[in-house]
Amino acid sequence: MTDAVEGAARPLIDNTDSKRPHGLLLVAIPVLLMTWLIIWPIISAIGRTIWRPDAEGNVGFSLSSYVFFFSDQYSLNNLWITLWTTLMCAILLLVICLPIAIYLRFSSGRIPAYVQALAIFPMFVPSIILAYAFIRVLGPNGMVDILLNAVGLPKIRTPYLTPWGPVIGLVWDNIPLTVLILLSGLGNVANHAIEAARDVGANRLQVFWHIILPRISNSVLVAISFAVLGIFSSFTLPYLLGPAAPEMMGPFMNRTFREVNDPLNAITQAVITFGFCIAFGLFYVRSVARNQGK
Amino acid sequence: MKRRDFMLAAGAAAGVAMLPRMSFAAEGVIDWYTSSDSNILDFWTNTVKPAFEAAHPGLSLNLVDAGDSAGIIAISERALAAKQTNTDPQADYFEAADPLLPNGAIEAGIFANIKQAGLSNYSKVNPAGIQSDYSLPYRGSQVLLAYDTSKLDPADAPKTWDDLVAWIKANPGQFVYNRPDKGGSGGNFVRRAIHQANGLDPSKFTVSNYTQEFGDEALGKAWELLKDIAPSLYDNGAYSSGNTQSIQLLSQGVVTMAPVWSDQVLQAIDQGVLPPETGLVQLQDLALVGGFTRSVVLETGANRDAALKLADFMLSEEIQSAILTELGGFPGVSWDYISAELRERFADIVPLTIPTFPSGAWEAAINDGWYRNVAPNVDRNS
Repeated sequence: MTDAVEGAARPLIDNTDSKRPHGLLLVAIPVLLMTWLIIWPIISAIGRTIWRPDAEGNVGFSLSSYVFFFSDQYSLNNLWITLWTTLMCAILLLVICLPIAIYLRFSSGRIPAYVQALAIFPMFVPSIILAYAFIRVLGPNGMVDILLNAVGLPKIRTPYLTPWGPVIGLVWDNIPLTVLILLSGLGNVANHAIEAARDVGANRLQVFWHIILPRISNSVLVAISFAVLGIFSSFTLPYLLGPAAPEMMGPFMNRTFREVNDPLNAITQAVITFGFCIAFGLFYVRSVARNQGK
Repeated sequence: MKRRDFMLAAGAAAGVAMLPRMSFAAEGVIDWYTSSDSNILDFWTNTVKPAFEAAHPGLSLNLVDAGDSAGIIAISERALAAKQTNTDPQADYFEAADPLLPNGAIEAGIFANIKQAGLSNYSKVNPAGIQSDYSLPYRGSQVLLAYDTSKLDPADAPKTWDDLVAWIKANPGQFVYNRPDKGGSGGNFVRRAIHQANGLDPSKFTVSNYTQEFGDEALGKAWELLKDIAPSLYDNGAYSSGNTQSIQLLSQGVVTMAPVWSDQVLQAIDQGVLPPETGLVQLQDLALVGGFTRSVVLETGANRDAALKLADFMLSEEIQSAILTELGGFPGVSWDYISAELRERFADIVPLTIPTFPSGAWEAAINDGWYRNVAPNVDRNS
């Protein structure tokens, strides 16, 4: 051990060069790309919706498109269904993924490996294929109905074309990422801490509540904010599986832009969606910052 | 061959194949582009190309998929630029294009005036399909109603709008149409409701006569009709998200009837997606809206004259009959020029008229109005 310590007299990360701009140069390209392709369009979108010509052609400050959005019941319904879908997905993801992750963390052997492969599988299925498979299986007269019918049970109330359609599809689609993040968080939970708790007589629930949960709360936050960001602005699954109205913000924006030929309101919807995503994003940034501060 | 050599050879071959092809328009090879679906490209490859090349020795077709209409417009823009430098645009024939796009293309003289080109078959073209002297309506498709004959006797199939509404209400949950902006079959069903609400007169609507007041009044009446049937639709008023999804619901036996595109449904029957017993019916008081596909010939193309021969060939009875029998489309010529036997066979789907509905501002108004007025006003849980 002492040899190793002496050998490490030169630190692994050499900070003497930090005054040189190499690091900055390395991040310059992604930062420039992000500024050009993401930050600038955001600024331009916000600018174009609040600073635009009025009826006489005088360019001036106007919030009328936002006033329209927040006074239009149809738009508000769409925003509400988006928030509802996102919340439902977040709850279901936690309920489904946490037990899977805990199982994978605390068991070994061949079966957990299969379970893990199965949990990661949705990652490799494109969502458009998932949508059509969903219709064949859970759709009306689909496979589930056929199986139920075979054993003499009534048909299910199909979630296809109802708000539950996108929820089921999006949860399935987001399981792999959530399980992976939770699993990496569970790596922080030391076996001996759990064994110690067991030794003093803690039951399973107490172990989960007092030992595991505090150590992975950060990962839970990260996993949920990742999933929520993707779900809030998702397009394919709500478009194919959801009802015609109310529709989620993704299909709503796309339709306003392409089919209604109304770029101003489409951009307004995008800015509002972005505002919500920023709020979720801040959770993530905060938890990362807190982690780095440790 | 060793694995390594094979990989090298395969890589080189793939690389050569991916090189941009530097080709110059060859004499007698018509450069043809389409923006349509793959069924159209198949039809041209398997039916039109062999027939045309057999009838016109020395001419051949180079069939290229331009992707979508934006792809065709990009090639037109290239032709516009080529015209300014008097170079060959390397394009002769667009299978489906709008000569008004890109702006100023007709004025610049890159498209041939088909009316004055002296096509021997031009007089046969269905006058209802002619929109411009610079485009040639050569095929069409129309929306009609497909139904499951095991649940609905063909003798009882509705033939008027009122019969259809009565049938929908008498059989709740057995009818579905898709959202009007997500596919023409539902879109044109909605347009038929607009015709119904406005005195069955398609000529009331033109591409330039949309105003807020007229639109609100004319469409408002149609929304009332559609809201009226909404509770009797599939799942108390659910709307599928495209042409294919409607056919899927029909094929799974979930609904009994749905509006479908004529060519899509005939193909679905042909491929076994729908059973051969599927019934097809067109409303006889006023048919559901249809549309024509129009071809454009490039005036500046190296093979302009050969391309016009192709355009003329497309109007021949041989091809027009094939459009009906093989494509499931709809002839571009008037029905009088189709053989009596075919007219008989497709009598059910042949309307006396092919009503059309203008796009432009009307389209946006319909797409927005339907979502705001028809789609949400249903209590789905009742």
